[in-house]
Amino acid sequence: MQATGTLNQQETIRRRLPVIIAFLVVVSSVMILRLASFQLALPPEVQSYLESLRDAGYRRTLELAADRGVVYDRNGEPMAVNTLDYMVGISPNLISEPRRTAQQLASALGLNELEVFESITSDEPWVQLAARVPASVRQQLNQMDIVGLTMTPIPRRSYPQGPLAAHIIGFVGGDLRGYYGVEGYYQDQLAGQIREREISRIPFDLPEITQIGHGRDVVLTIDRDIQFLAESELLRAIQESGATQGTILIMNPRDGEILAMANYPTFDPNAYFNITDENALRNPAVSDQYEPGSVMKVITVAAALDRNAITPDWTYNDQGALNIAGITVRNWNRQAAGVVDVTRMLVDSLNVGAASVAQQMGREAFYQEFDDFGFGRTTGIDLEGEASGAMPVPGDPTWSEANFITSSFGQGIAVTPLQMLTAVSAIANDGLMMQPHVVRQFINGDEVINAQPSALGRPISAEAADAVTQMMVAVVNSGLDNAASLPGYTIAGKTGTAEIPTAIGTYEANASITTFVGFLPADDPQVAILIKLDRPRDYWASQVTAPVFRRLVERLVILMEIPTDDIRLLLASQGGSVNGIQR
Amino acid sequence: MAESWIQHALRRTGWRPQRQVASLTVLGMIVAVFVGALYLSQASSTSTLGRQLNELIEERDRIQQENEALRAEIAGYRTVERLLRRAQELGFVQAAANQIQYLVVDGYNPGRAVTVVELQAVENVLPDYDESFVGWVQQGWDWLTEQVESFTNQGAG
Repeated sequence: MQATGTLNQQETIRRRLPVIIAFLVVVSSVMILRLASFQLALPPEVQSYLESLRDAGYRRTLELAADRGVVYDRNGEPMAVNTLDYMVGISPNLISEPRRTAQQLASALGLNELEVFESITSDEPWVQLAARVPASVRQQLNQMDIVGLTMTPIPRRSYPQGPLAAHIIGFVGGDLRGYYGVEGYYQDQLAGQIREREISRIPFDLPEITQIGHGRDVVLTIDRDIQFLAESELLRAIQESGATQGTILIMNPRDGEILAMANYPTFDPNAYFNITDENALRNPAVSDQYEPGSVMKVITVAAALDRNAITPDWTYNDQGALNIAGITVRNWNRQAAGVVDVTRMLVDSLNVGAASVAQQMGREAFYQEFDDFGFGRTTGIDLEGEASGAMPVPGDPTWSEANFITSSFGQGIAVTPLQMLTAVSAIANDGLMMQPHVVRQFINGDEVINAQPSALGRPISAEAADAVTQMMVAVVNSGLDNAASLPGYTIAGKTGTAEIPTAIGTYEANASITTFVGFLPADDPQVAILIKLDRPRDYWASQVTAPVFRRLVERLVILMEIPTDDIRLLLASQGGSVNGIQR
Repeated sequence: MAESWIQHALRRTGWRPQRQVASLTVLGMIVAVFVGALYLSQASSTSTLGRQLNELIEERDRIQQENEALRAEIAGYRTVERLLRRAQELGFVQAAANQIQYLVVDGYNPGRAVTVVELQAVENVLPDYDESFVGWVQQGWDWLTEQVESFTNQGAG
C-alpha cells in the first residue's frame, strides 16, 4: 500500500512539475523582459526622471558667473573693475584661546571685543563675524593664522576713480546687474555668460576644466583727465555762481566721440546704496530737457542760410519789438537796434532778429530744418535714459503760431544738453551731424571691435556751416560773450539765457538756465563744448557761463595739446596738423 | 587486457579533478585580485589627480581674483586727484597756456603719411611638428637629413 502511495505522490509531482516550471519560466521571462524594457526602451520623461534621481545622488551643478568686463577710459585707465570682499566667519568649537582670539579679531575687524568674545564662545557650529571686509583686512586676518576662521569671497564691482564720470559709467547692483550709464546700457556685453559646471561626488571622476568666460571689456571715448577737468571746473562754477545744477559736455564734432560729460550733483558708484533720491542717478546731460534760449539762434540762422531764405548780408530793421502771431517779441534789453545784419543780430542776441529770420524762412522750412537737426527725437547715444526733447509741430494740440516764432530764439522748445551740442557740432563739422557716442571699443579676448563713427545726417550745407561759424566767431570776439575768448585761439560760440517755465505755463521770476555752446579752433574744430548752469545768482549767461568756458578751455588746450592759431597754421602750411585727441 | 597507463591514472586519481578545480579557482582568484588591485591603484591615482586638478583650478581662480584686486588697487593709486596731490607735494605746478611752447621744425610734417615696411616672409624650412607618432618620425628624419646636408655642404665648401 505504501509503495502505491509513494508512486502516486511521485506521479503527482511529475505531473505538476512541468506546470510549476512553466510558471516559473513565464514569471522569469516577464521579469527579464521588464528589466530589459527599463534598460533599453524607457519613455523619455521617465528616463530623464530616473537620470535626475541618479544624478542627484552623486552630481551637482554649480553656476559660475563670468567676470564682468572692465571699463577703461580712452587711454586705458580703468574706470570700473572687479574686486573681492570677504565674509568673515568662525567655528567656535575650534577656538582654543578665545580671549586672545577675540582681542585679535576685534582689532582687525573694528568690532567690540566683548561681542566677538561672546560670538566665539557660543554653542553655534559657525558664527558670522563680518558681512563684508576688504582684501586688506583679509590679508591682516590671514597673518593671524587663526584655526577655524573662514573667509568667503564675495564679488564686488569697484570704481577706482570714485565719483568721476559716475553718470556715464552707472553702477552694478547687489544682484550683479548693471544699472544706468554704460553698465546698464551694455549689461549683456559686460556681464558675459553664466556657465554651469558639473561637480561629481564620485572620487574617480576627473573634474571638468572650465575656463570661466569673461565679459567684454569696454573702452570709453571719455578721457579721464578731461573728465576730471570738466568736473573740477563745473564744481567751481557751481560754487561761484550759486547754481543749483549744472552740466559740461565736451565732444569731438568730427566723429561724435564724447570726451567728457560732467554733471552736478553727482554720486559715487561705490556707494550708490546711500542715495535716497533716485533722480540723482539719472544723467541730466541726456535725460533733462530745458528751453535752451538764445543758443538756438545759431540753429535758426544756419537753417535759414541753408534754405537760402537769407544770405550772410541780409539785414532787417530792428525796432526792439515785433507783434506777430498774437504775441509781442522783445529784445533782451528792450531796445531797438535799427538796421542790422545777421552777424550783428547774433552778436547782440536779438530776439526780434531771430523771429524775423524764422518769418523769412517760413513755417514749413523752419520745422523741416529743425527736424533735420534732430530736435524732438533722441540722438541714439549709447547711454540709458535719453530723453527726446519736445518740439511741438503744426498739428500738435500744444502747438500755436506763436510757438513757431518763439522756437527761433529757443523758447517753447525743449532740448537736452546733448541734443543742443550735437546740433551745434554739425555746424563745426561742415554741416555733417555725427552721432554722439561714449564707447570706442569692445575687447573680447584677442578680438578688438572698434565702434565706427556714424553720421545722423547733413542738416545744412558746408557753405552755410562756414558762414554761421564766422558769425559765431564774431559773437565771441566782439559780442556779449567776449568773456569766453582766449588769446591766441579763434573760438566760435554763443550764449543762451532761458527762462524757466512753471507748471501753469508762465515763467519763474528772476531764475534762468544759462548755457554757453562753442567750438575751437573755429577753422578746424577739434572740440565742441556745452556748459549749462541752472538758477545761478546772476541772470545772464554772458556773465555766468562765458567765463567758465574760458577757464575750461584754457586748461583744455593744454591737455589736448592744441597749439595757438599761429603755430597751428604754421604746421598746417607744412602739410601737418595737430590733433591732440589722438595723442 | 591490461589497462593503459592513462586508464590507470584516471581510475586511480578520483581526487585529481577536485584539485584541478581548486587550483583553477585559486588561480582565478589571484587573477581577480591582481586585476582588482590594478583597478584600485589606477582609480586611486586618477582620484588623486582629480583632487590635485581641483586644487590647481582653485589656485588659478584665486590668483586671477587677486590680479583683479591688485589692478583695482593700482587704479586707486593712479587717480587724478592723488596724482595731482603727489605732484604738488613734489613741488610741481600746473603750466599755464602761455607757458607751453610748441616747436615747429622746418620741413617736418607731423601729419605725414606713415609707411610701414612689410616684414620679409621667412620660408619655413621644416614642417611643423604635429605631435603624432608620424610627426615624431618625420621630425627625426628631417633633423637627420638636415645634418647630412650640412655635412655634405661643409665637405663641398
